[in-house]
Amino acid sequence: MNRIILNERLVPNIFHLVVEAPEIASSARPGQFVMVIPDEKGERIPLNVADWDKSKGTIDLVFMNLGVSTRKLAGFKTGDFLEGVAGPLGRPAEVVDFGQVLLVGGCYGLAGLYPLARELKERGNQILFLAEARSRAYIYWENRIRKVTDEFLTAFRADCFSSDKDLEEIILGLKSWKPQLSRVVVMGCSYLLFTVSEITRKIGLKTRVNLNPLMVDGTGMCGACRVTVHGKTYFACVDGPEFDGHGVDWQEYFSRRKAFLSQEELALVHLVKKLDSQE
Amino acid sequence: MKKTELFEPGLTERLSREREKDWRKNLRREISAQKRLTIPRHKMPEQPPAQRIRNFLEVNLGYSLEMAKEEAQRCLDCGNPGCVAGCPVAIDIPTFIKYIEAGELDKALDKIRETNGLPAICGRVCPQEVQCEKNCNLVKAGKEPVAIGHLERFVADYLSLRSELNIEPGCVNSSRGKIAVVGSGPSGLTVAADLARLGYQVTVFEALHVPGGVLAYGIPEFRLPREILHSEINFIRSLGVEIKTNFIVGKTASPSDLREAGYSAFFLGTGAGLPGFMNIPGENLLGVYSANEYLTRVNLMKAFRFPDFDTPAPAARKVAVIGGGNVAMDAVRTALRLGAAEAVIYYRRSRAEMPARVEEIRHAEEEGVVFNFLTVPVRFLGDEKGRLRGMVLQRLTLGEPDASGRPRPVPVPGSEFEVEVDLAVVAIGQSPNPLLVKQVDGLKLGRWGNVEVDSETMASSLPGVYAGGDAVRGGATVILAMGDGRRAAKAIDKFLRKC
Ligand SMILES: Cc1cc2nc3c(=O)[nH]c(=O)nc-3n(C[C@H](O)[C@H](O)[C@H](O)COP(=O)(O)OP(=O)(O)OC[C@H]3O[C@@H](n4cnc5c(N)ncnc54)[C@H](O)[C@@H]3O)c2cc1C
Ligand SMILES: Cc1cc2nc3c(=O)[nH]c(=O)nc-3n(C[C@H](O)[C@H](O)[C@H](O)COP(=O)(O)OP(=O)(O)OC[C@H]3O[C@@H](n4cnc5c(N)ncnc54)[C@H](O)[C@@H]3O)c2cc1C
Ligand code: SF4
Ligand code: SF4
Ligand code: FES
Repeated sequence: MNRIILNERLVPNIFHLVVEAPEIASSARPGQFVMVIPDEKGERIPLNVADWDKSKGTIDLVFMNLGVSTRKLAGFKTGDFLEGVAGPLGRPAEVVDFGQVLLVGGCYGLAGLYPLARELKERGNQILFLAEARSRAYIYWENRIRKVTDEFLTAFRADCFSSDKDLEEIILGLKSWKPQLSRVVVMGCSYLLFTVSEITRKIGLKTRVNLNPLMVDGTGMCGACRVTVHGKTYFACVDGPEFDGHGVDWQEYFSRRKAFLSQEELALVHLVKKLDSQE
Repeated sequence: MKKTELFEPGLTERLSREREKDWRKNLRREISAQKRLTIPRHKMPEQPPAQRIRNFLEVNLGYSLEMAKEEAQRCLDCGNPGCVAGCPVAIDIPTFIKYIEAGELDKALDKIRETNGLPAICGRVCPQEVQCEKNCNLVKAGKEPVAIGHLERFVADYLSLRSELNIEPGCVNSSRGKIAVVGSGPSGLTVAADLARLGYQVTVFEALHVPGGVLAYGIPEFRLPREILHSEINFIRSLGVEIKTNFIVGKTASPSDLREAGYSAFFLGTGAGLPGFMNIPGENLLGVYSANEYLTRVNLMKAFRFPDFDTPAPAARKVAVIGGGNVAMDAVRTALRLGAAEAVIYYRRSRAEMPARVEEIRHAEEEGVVFNFLTVPVRFLGDEKGRLRGMVLQRLTLGEPDASGRPRPVPVPGSEFEVEVDLAVVAIGQSPNPLLVKQVDGLKLGRWGNVEVDSETMASSLPGVYAGGDAVRGGATVILAMGDGRRAAKAIDKFLRKC
């Protein structure tokens, strides 16, 4: 059981939880995630560790309100308890001297990339942060991120697809006037991971994507999270979640993410009915 | 094979000392051996197949007191009990059975608990037909063996239902040393219980949110109800063992962090959690699952109660399960219970080589599972959306024995055929969980990533680090894992006394 210290809404569909988890707070590294179980009937869902405070023994989670589990999380109040948090899991992101690094974050990825930005910066890298969102109203943690980056850029989309052009212009533009840009790290919704990879593929710019396949245990025991990268099968929870975006079999990845679509809808309807009947 | 004397020097003398006690002599005299040999073995009462495939309740309903006493009368109380030699933890089987005959159930349980901390579980899941019951002297007399497993289970259940008798207060003496047990499967729980009894402060670290290892995430409720597991685990807790769930050693804290925190000996009971796949085309299609994922969703996450519980299980009409062990039987029977119209086992050898417990195979057959022997999938077929729609299988014949001594399956050329399936579960075996053991510097691993140990002390290549169960053996059995735990506990005690 982990006590909730804070639960705040950052932007319309994104929430920020601060949770007591002292052991995780002292071992978390950028790029790692935890498995969260909201309540005793809950699913185990992966969420990135968006920050941590060793001295207070807390970790920060930022999540998008999508389905049953995240809706349950959004409903918790300060002082409530989560059923469980396990981690930190996954391989930490590489933090070495890259020179210039472009971090592209969308939805929860703004927060998820924050610790990486901070540590890369501390290592002396120059960080360009590109926040991708539906509109300005969906950008959060801007000041926090600005403090640990050299440049903060935004790309907005009026609808789902119109941002491609902006993203492409920005990324290709950067490459032409920032010759030391050596790699891109992307975190956020699957569509963003894919789009950015396709853009950078054209110019051969190394791109690491934080894949978010379905997971069950998160410890390498079930294979739910398998992804194909450069023709080889990996378990994203132990071999990733960061992979070479130019090697991912995106078609397989998108189809596997949809495994439980109809059940997810059913579960949500069930939860909403239950909440209604409680009111 | 297993050497019972390994755990217990002087076992034979102890058995015969017990046997020569007056109450035993009297009991033997009460019914003649001839008469005992005429009593037929009591069948385990079961839920009828048509009913049980619609629920997740236990299939076996358990003996009544009367049945248990009668079954106990079948035991001849042999001077040279073959049964004990067949049990990997050398339970004093005749003594506990005679206590049942005498109606002294709590003494029967105490006797079992001297060497086995999880009797309600072993009575249910041990492959008795190749262990204790195989060696029962009744078999030599041309009779069915005494139902040792059913009796063991009966005693444990009867007492846990009746009272709190099974709670022995622990007395932990922290000055004796702190021990970290990694993994809460049967091996870890056994080490923990044994060392706690010796007065050590033991912490069990478990990666998942529920303790029990495979007993919690793998074996379905219709074979092992979770109340049973929980009451056995509570018993171990009552000895003073602390179980920390959601704690992944190697991630949440490293072994060196734990050393700094004062743990002076380690037991790695991390199991064989890494699911094997066949590496054939189409294996990542939507609809192809590892048995671990399928069973974890259903057992650990309770998908069979979806949507009351949040985790879903894949729905399917035509289910194919690949494999012939307990894992495959559990998966295929789970599929039936989740509503599959057709549940088929594809196994690459013949019926005789199937490693599953005979009871599971019989239960699966009664429930309508179809068995296809000497067939192996060579390719999964998908539709345009990446969903599984079928598979291509190949027929095999049995050739020369391989390294395991079993005949090697050889493909029959031109024998490929196609079947329609919408869910395939791959249950071809697991290998040791690499998460922790690969991270530990200097820990010597074998060819399959198994921890190499001294077979008597379970000591690894690192001083103070011991290992056992599936992490050492690959996929084995509950009772072998417990036997390892028992040996490791003895060795750890010795190690700590010295240093
Ligand atoms: C390593 C890793 C790290 C992650 N970190 C975070 C994080 O920090 N914050 C966060 O909000 N999420 C993160 N995710 C994704 C998160 O786990 C899922 O959003 C969550 O499981 C949704 O659960 P749910 O029950 O609320 O929704 P579900 O009922 O499972 O899903 C509801 C609907 O949303 C869709 N959906 C679910 N997940 C995604 C997704 N990632 N992208 C697009 N659509 C999706 C489903 O297909 C479905 O239609 C991470 C995933 C992984 C694998
Ligand atoms: C579906 C299925 C059915 C089976 N049926 C039978 C049967 O009928 N009879 C029988 O005798 N045997 C059966 N077996 C085999 C038996 O369950 C195993 O041999 C036995 O459980 C092995 O015990 P163990 O202690 O080695 O580890 P496991 O039971 O595998 O438990 C290992 C535990 O360690 C945890 N762990 C791993 N790494 C870490 C880490 N780094 N930090 C913390 N925790 C960690 C895991 O989460 C897990 O809970 C079956 C196995 C399966 C999968
Ligand atoms: S522990 Fe297993 S092998 Fe030993 S007596 Fe019990 S059922 Fe038989
Ligand atoms: S061998 Fe069979 S009959 Fe003899 S003591 Fe053991 S269980 Fe009883
Ligand atoms: S989530 Fe189970 S192996 Fe990765």
